[in-house]
Amino acid sequence: MSAPSQDNAVKGSVITRAIIYVVLILFVIYYLLPLYVMIVNSVKPLEEIRSGNMMEFPKVWTLEPWRAAWSYAQIGVEPSGLRPYFINSILMVVPAVLLSTILGALNGYVLTKWQFRGHGIVFGLLLLSCFIPFQIVLIPMARVLGFLGVSGTISGLVLVHLVYGIGFTTLFFRNYYAAFPTELVRAAQIDGAGFFQIFWRILLPSSAPIAVVTIIWQFTNVWNDFLFGASFSDFDSVPMTVALNNLVSSSTGVKEYNVHFAGAILAALPTLIVYIVSGRYFVRGLMAGAVKG
Amino acid sequence: MASLTIENLHKSYGATKVLKGIDIEIDDGGFLVLVGPSGCGKSTLLNTIAGLEDITSGDIKIGPKSVSGLHPSKRDIAMVFQSYALYPNMTVAQNISFGMEIRGIPKPEREAGIQKVADMLQIGELLHRKPSQLSGGQRQRVAMGRALVRDPQVFLFDEPLSNLDAKLRVDMRTEIKRLHQRMGTTIVYVTHDQIEALTLATKIAVLKDGYLQQFGTPAQVYNDPENMFVADFMGSPSMNLIEATVREENGKPAIHIAGDGAGAGDITLPANTPGLRDHMGGKVMFGIRPEALTDPEGADRTGSDIVQQDCLIEVVEPAGSDTFAVTRLGGVEAIARLRADADIHAGQTTPLAFNMTKAVFFDPETTARIR
Repeated sequence: MSAPSQDNAVKGSVITRAIIYVVLILFVIYYLLPLYVMIVNSVKPLEEIRSGNMMEFPKVWTLEPWRAAWSYAQIGVEPSGLRPYFINSILMVVPAVLLSTILGALNGYVLTKWQFRGHGIVFGLLLLSCFIPFQIVLIPMARVLGFLGVSGTISGLVLVHLVYGIGFTTLFFRNYYAAFPTELVRAAQIDGAGFFQIFWRILLPSSAPIAVVTIIWQFTNVWNDFLFGASFSDFDSVPMTVALNNLVSSSTGVKEYNVHFAGAILAALPTLIVYIVSGRYFVRGLMAGAVKG
Repeated sequence: MASLTIENLHKSYGATKVLKGIDIEIDDGGFLVLVGPSGCGKSTLLNTIAGLEDITSGDIKIGPKSVSGLHPSKRDIAMVFQSYALYPNMTVAQNISFGMEIRGIPKPEREAGIQKVADMLQIGELLHRKPSQLSGGQRQRVAMGRALVRDPQVFLFDEPLSNLDAKLRVDMRTEIKRLHQRMGTTIVYVTHDQIEALTLATKIAVLKDGYLQQFGTPAQVYNDPENMFVADFMGSPSMNLIEATVREENGKPAIHIAGDGAGAGDITLPANTPGLRDHMGGKVMFGIRPEALTDPEGADRTGSDIVQQDCLIEVVEPAGSDTFAVTRLGGVEAIARLRADADIHAGQTTPLAFNMTKAVFFDPETTARIR
């Protein structure tokens, strides 16, 4: 009796498994199709795109669209390619991500291990910044940047992203440190370590998973931001996302789709690399923070 | 090394009073155990001694010097935590030397300190491992090493053995006692395990609900409890507490335990406690430890006041070295401790020997001892 029923069970699971895989493969195709179109068309001459099918493989392979997008395509009025703007984005992202991560870690440390009267309210207010839509802060932010004399500069953009990011980074680190044993902090206090020594020597070395999550989160958000970039930048501080828009909407006659595709891939490349390199830590870190908090 | 004095210590969190006037004094080289049920304030008391929590009023002195208000690192104490609190990112050697490093002690001296405690605790081979690679007992040793290397005036232990399995706990208990005997440093030790308290302490402080219930040597706390809580809390199995009426018999006070009509008969026992005269005709709680309620052959031969009474045995629990018999006295279960080979069966009515010199009495209203 048991043998046939086991047979059925195995057969049933094979069919279920097949269905699951088919569905998954369809999803993969669905999600990868745009990437395929972008890559394939970024290595075709423009004539092929105009004459033929977007889905086709290139007959003539060329890296010229990439070269154009990077170094001499028309961006607004300058034939500079995306390179200067890529550098702008890097100059903006690196300090914004590092500073907001460090401040978030410090906030999380204070809010869990050095609790003061009203720490809950402070945390609540910080959280509020995660839920305020970008658009609401545009005008006040413009005034603040003007007042500080950093409007239209990369430092101004760093400040905007720093302010906007602290809410999230604090949330991540607070939840992570809430599960961090307080006895370790007490042991370090008895050992004579001070506020920053405990942070630096005891907490930070154990914070790698949540730091990775925070860095990925902040990096993608800041890199992909368009609204702040478009609102608060000047000619010489335009970030990549805005420059990409300018590339696509610059009209000098023909639409160079192959250059546009190459430019779009260039703009997406850094976040893609960050995900591929540290993606598995991302899930692990999110879980670590989620268990207790 | 130093004495430790706690004077009229109060601690509250907002409106919640956690410690309500604690007075404790322990000599240089003493081993003070703070014991009590969960939530009694014993860990809070330890944390106030460590300086990890502020006190609301009162004073704490280590030696002649008041330490209240001083930072934990300035009190010359070392603490072993329940979870061991080893720094996970450092090796054993770094864990032990972290405090010295913070205080800027030069490297050769640190190395010598590490070597000394490593030899003392036999953790030499573990020095380059991370805490995650150690077993529970090894972590415990490292945590003690980190405390020992400071050579403090007072050691504080916060339930250090509660995360270990039963056998290891007994081994480590002996080791802590041996360490104390060798070093002679003052120790304050928190536990909820009354056996640990009795075996380790030179002085025990029993706490409940933020009040000090009794402070004394293990023998005082065990044999001469101040109130019903202490009597019940200390000892395993715990003291039998039976409701009884005080009567006069032949001109002397005696206590009468009513039977329940279902096999357990009335029992009258002579009682020489003078304080009972004030309760003549009233109810008292009669306390007798299992080892003072035995089979007649196993009774203490030197006891001057041993009375035999017939009791109905309900359950017999052989425990290897002893046999515990459950009987019923005054409507509640009472445990008698018999010799391992006592000839006894459930359902049998047999004489039990009451060692009345060991009996204690409490006022059922105030739970205070009647002396």
